[in-house]
Amino acid sequence: MRIYNPTFGLSAAGGEKIALKPVNWMTDAIALVSNSKPNARELLDGIRTKLGAVRAVTNIDFLAKNSASQPAPKDLLEKVAANYRGALLAIAD
Amino acid sequence: MKDIADQEVIDIDDMDVEAFNDLATQQGWSDGLPLYVPTEDKVAKFVEMVRGDNRPYPPVPPRQVVPTIQALAANAVMAGCKPEYFPVVTAALRGVLDPEYNLHGTLATTHPCAPMVMVSGPIRKELNINCGSNCFGQGWQANATIGRALGLMLLNVAGAKPGEMDRSTQGNPAKFTFCFGENEEENPWTPYHVRRGFAPTDNVVTVMSGEAPHNLNDHGSTTGDGLLTTFANSMATPGANTIYGKGPCFVIIGPEHAATLARDGYTIESIQEELYKRSRVHASRISQENQDTYISTGHKPEGDWFTIVPTPQDIHVTVAGGPGKHSAFIPSFGGTTVACVRIA
Repeated sequence: MRIYNPTFGLSAAGGEKIALKPVNWMTDAIALVSNSKPNARELLDGIRTKLGAVRAVTNIDFLAKNSASQPAPKDLLEKVAANYRGALLAIAD
Repeated sequence: MKDIADQEVIDIDDMDVEAFNDLATQQGWSDGLPLYVPTEDKVAKFVEMVRGDNRPYPPVPPRQVVPTIQALAANAVMAGCKPEYFPVVTAALRGVLDPEYNLHGTLATTHPCAPMVMVSGPIRKELNINCGSNCFGQGWQANATIGRALGLMLLNVAGAKPGEMDRSTQGNPAKFTFCFGENEEENPWTPYHVRRGFAPTDNVVTVMSGEAPHNLNDHGSTTGDGLLTTFANSMATPGANTIYGKGPCFVIIGPEHAATLARDGYTIESIQEELYKRSRVHASRISQENQDTYISTGHKPEGDWFTIVPTPQDIHVTVAGGPGKHSAFIPSFGGTTVACVRIA
């Protein structure tokens, strides 16, 4: 018996992979990006404090998207890509 | 059997329905109810129904794959659709793929939203889509299976697996199916799809990522003003996503309530205005912590009042259901839109 696979789909075009330079988490600039859910900022603040025990935190910054229910806007993604070598997202509720 | 994830057509041993359902459950294709087998011949009948609709589908988030029409048809077959339902299902899929609908957010959220599907136009009668008594409920194959087919597409094509990508805290029975017809025949105002710019003879699917219907019971009020008092105070819920996420909602008015409102001179626009004004939530009903959160994310009150939606026009009003003194309020996910698509 032959059936159609209900999950089948083609890969979307444009998903070109790029080579990423390695991140030095001990020195590089890092963005801590809040998803704007309650407590996300507190979670990220705790991470920044813990990182402060092992590295300088002057180049670790807080950013946030403006709505928990909407994707991050393009200008925020471009800002993160332009200014930081790594980003941590808060998945919090 | 070898790995089937990347195969469009799969050879499986001959098996009965029970064995197929075991396979489907093992593969993660099932919503938990029994499925029909998407054999090649059944799928071909469904594909034939959308011949001529050659508009490509965009990648479907969150999984970001471009579905083939056969894969979509397989889900409609499994749901128990008749072939003639398939153009309605594909129109609903195009609706939820409107970028403003925010499919990724609505599928991945902890909120219990499900795609509400409303059908307008002559096709309601051709397909026997229930617009009257119990229109949100059981008993009609078209209602039950059109909504279910869309849900299976979102599970299998979009990848919204419960507990994995679909992170809904409690879910919602409407995630099984949520499809009904607009009761145009007992609507004293212009049908919804015509107000959205379509012709009365067009067949249109309207989708919104909504909660299950909240009942608006009013057996006592004999005036439009009385009904709107009940509607608005029932809509003024501090726990609605729209109070901070903003976004639209639907008020589906039962025909008897609609007749009373129309008799008293209310138009769609005046109903929207009255409900917007009267459904605001007073700050005293909202915890200080929640108020602080709303304000910190840009959702400031008007004086001491939080509006339930951004504007009067975000309250979408139409008529469905049968005899009785009930209407329904359907809040949305918040960060979404109400999308309309003409059925090809």
